[in-house]
Amino acid sequence: MSTRTKVKGTNRARSEFIWGWMFILPTMIGLFVLNIIPIFQTIYQSFFKAGAFGKGNVFVGLDNYRRMFADASVWQALINTFKYAVVEVPFSIAIALVLAVLLNRHMRGRSLYRTIYFLPMVAAPAAVAMVWRWLYNSEFGLLNHLLNTLGFDSVNWISNPNTTFIWIAVVGIWSVIGYNMVLFLAGLQEIPQDYYEAAMIDGASAVKQFFHITIPLISPMMFFVSVTRIIAAMQVFDVIYMMMDRNNPAFFKTQSLVYLFYRYSFVESDRGYGSAIVMLLLLVIMVITVIQIRMQKKWVNYN
Amino acid sequence: MKLKKVMALMLTLVMVLSLAACSGGDNSNEGGTDSGASTDTTDTSSESTDSESSDTSGSSDVALTVAIWDTNQEPGLTQIINDFTEKTGIKAQIQVTPWEQYWTMLEAGATGGSLPDVFWMHSNEIARYSEYEMLLDLTERIKSSDVLDMSKFPQEIIEIYNWEGTTQYAVPKDIDTIGLWYNKTMFDEAGVAYPDDSWTWEDFRAAAEKLTKDDGSQYGLALRPSNNQAGWYNLVYGKNGYIISDDKKSSGFDLPETIEAIDFFASMSKDGLMPPYEVLAENEEHALFEAGKVAMIMQGSWMLAELCNNEYVIENADIAVLPKDAETGRRPSIYNGLGWAASGNTEYPEEAWALIEYMGSEEAQQKQSDLGIVISAYEGTMDNWTGAYPTFNLQAYLDMMDDLVIRPYSKTTVRWENMANDKMIMAWTGDKTAEEVCLEIATEMNALLAEE
Repeated sequence: MSTRTKVKGTNRARSEFIWGWMFILPTMIGLFVLNIIPIFQTIYQSFFKAGAFGKGNVFVGLDNYRRMFADASVWQALINTFKYAVVEVPFSIAIALVLAVLLNRHMRGRSLYRTIYFLPMVAAPAAVAMVWRWLYNSEFGLLNHLLNTLGFDSVNWISNPNTTFIWIAVVGIWSVIGYNMVLFLAGLQEIPQDYYEAAMIDGASAVKQFFHITIPLISPMMFFVSVTRIIAAMQVFDVIYMMMDRNNPAFFKTQSLVYLFYRYSFVESDRGYGSAIVMLLLLVIMVITVIQIRMQKKWVNYN
Repeated sequence: MKLKKVMALMLTLVMVLSLAACSGGDNSNEGGTDSGASTDTTDTSSESTDSESSDTSGSSDVALTVAIWDTNQEPGLTQIINDFTEKTGIKAQIQVTPWEQYWTMLEAGATGGSLPDVFWMHSNEIARYSEYEMLLDLTERIKSSDVLDMSKFPQEIIEIYNWEGTTQYAVPKDIDTIGLWYNKTMFDEAGVAYPDDSWTWEDFRAAAEKLTKDDGSQYGLALRPSNNQAGWYNLVYGKNGYIISDDKKSSGFDLPETIEAIDFFASMSKDGLMPPYEVLAENEEHALFEAGKVAMIMQGSWMLAELCNNEYVIENADIAVLPKDAETGRRPSIYNGLGWAASGNTEYPEEAWALIEYMGSEEAQQKQSDLGIVISAYEGTMDNWTGAYPTFNLQAYLDMMDDLVIRPYSKTTVRWENMANDKMIMAWTGDKTAEEVCLEIATEMNALLAEE
């Protein structure tokens, strides 16, 4: 940001400076009120044993953090969150990229397909989760009904502790493919057609073109998508919240960190402990993002 | 250039203002119209500064926001509120928020100073709201009321909403009892006699065994570990065990009676008399009952509107009292009662009180029972309740009132209750014995109670 550049005495420079700030003021206010201030409040809160309704807080130092490090469910939730991200992010990127390449060609009904793939993004996440919950239902669900008619046994999609995270991630992938695809389409349209023509003259196959032209040139967009997707995947909450409840035997091995945060902060009104959990998440996300930014030199091509 | 600057300034202003408006809109939860207090109320609205300041415009368009969590009760309560509006001219609008989100909504409202004007309270949550004085103090108002007679309500329900013997924060709304729902068709088919008041829990289990089919198409019972009030709590107290001691300082989960009671249901789950745990976890008990998957469920009287309007249930099912314990001869029903409370910083305290007062009056309580909404708390108003769904034996629910035990609660009920429910899953799936689970719960619960 240019806050440190010396403002010259000229009228024009000063006026530009003021107007520049005026223009970003609405966004800045929003950012501060809705994001930055709450972050510091959460940090502050994590050192307290919270009373109800934001009153009666008692300072407990690092007690919440000590309790967190000894809490097996927090570490399990962190593992669960990673498992979810590991399934969701690569698949949602790979599938979206392939779809984007296919839909970037001139073909009949192109915009219809694009619309169809983007539709899940428009649907309310809670509604999406509810529909999937019914599809997955082990007793009355459509998926098991199909399996049974084909002669297979029923599968406990969302109540098997070992596999549930995969089926939850499938819903996540399904919901986000359209969004990733649109971003990739935008990236693809930036690639000059000349490269492909030159490659064709040289006799490169479509697959070779994809790996040697498309992938390198779209890598900045892939970088952007993977950073934002990992952050979003680490914050998974709605699908889990809507599709499972605490009676579920798979719940302990599926609940995410954000779910634990929600549970402690809002259900059991233990705000301090909830804040400590979310600080752990913040730290983990920051570390991952820093690593990604460091790594980008190795594979991202900026022309 | 000048014009551009002016335009830009205006745009910026508009954006800033709209931003402010957005955040303002989120917080103003105070009901539809906010122009002035009603002058039609029986009490004068001059006591509090709040209502004075809003009284100036003099119009009578107050609309109270009334928050509840049960959709099934909305139509009936709307009728009662319409009566109230006719009498007093005060309008009120019901907002339903499902139980899972209701308390989050209420807590956010309390934190931000924008609670609904009038709302339901529950024994699980009342402690925090009382401790931090979030609710309207009703003590004096109740004393000086000639409509409301608190002696007509069960003492235990009044106590739930009484903070340390001094301040009354809510007026009882209803009470509930537990009944046993059974599928007559399945009983006939299996050649088992219908449950009646001679049944012991051993008879119950024997029937469940006969009603369970080997091919997995039908099971004797569905009971989720989270169904405590309508489920396993009843047997715990039937065996003279308890969940929490009377002084609310120690857990009763380590008592042999409590463990025995929980083992009774856990082993029914392990022995396959209930659907596999995964099915139980994904589907609510009443859904399995309505789908003809299970022959028996235990449900509270608050479930009537759901079950009694279901076609399959009307065709095939009826209600009986819970079985009794063979040794103690007890047949307790864990009961609870909601309360009507008002926001401590409502703009319309007198109007809110008028509504609560009316809701606690004999007239409204009678109507609440007559419409079959729930069993009213007011003494002598429940008899007509059985007529609400004549095809069912609702008398069973009233018969359960002979041995009422208040639903166990303390200041932090939600914390230990959720912890216990989470652990109970292991007993149901058979991964741990009931005893192991109960002892674990007792240890953690005692620690939580010590913190209160």
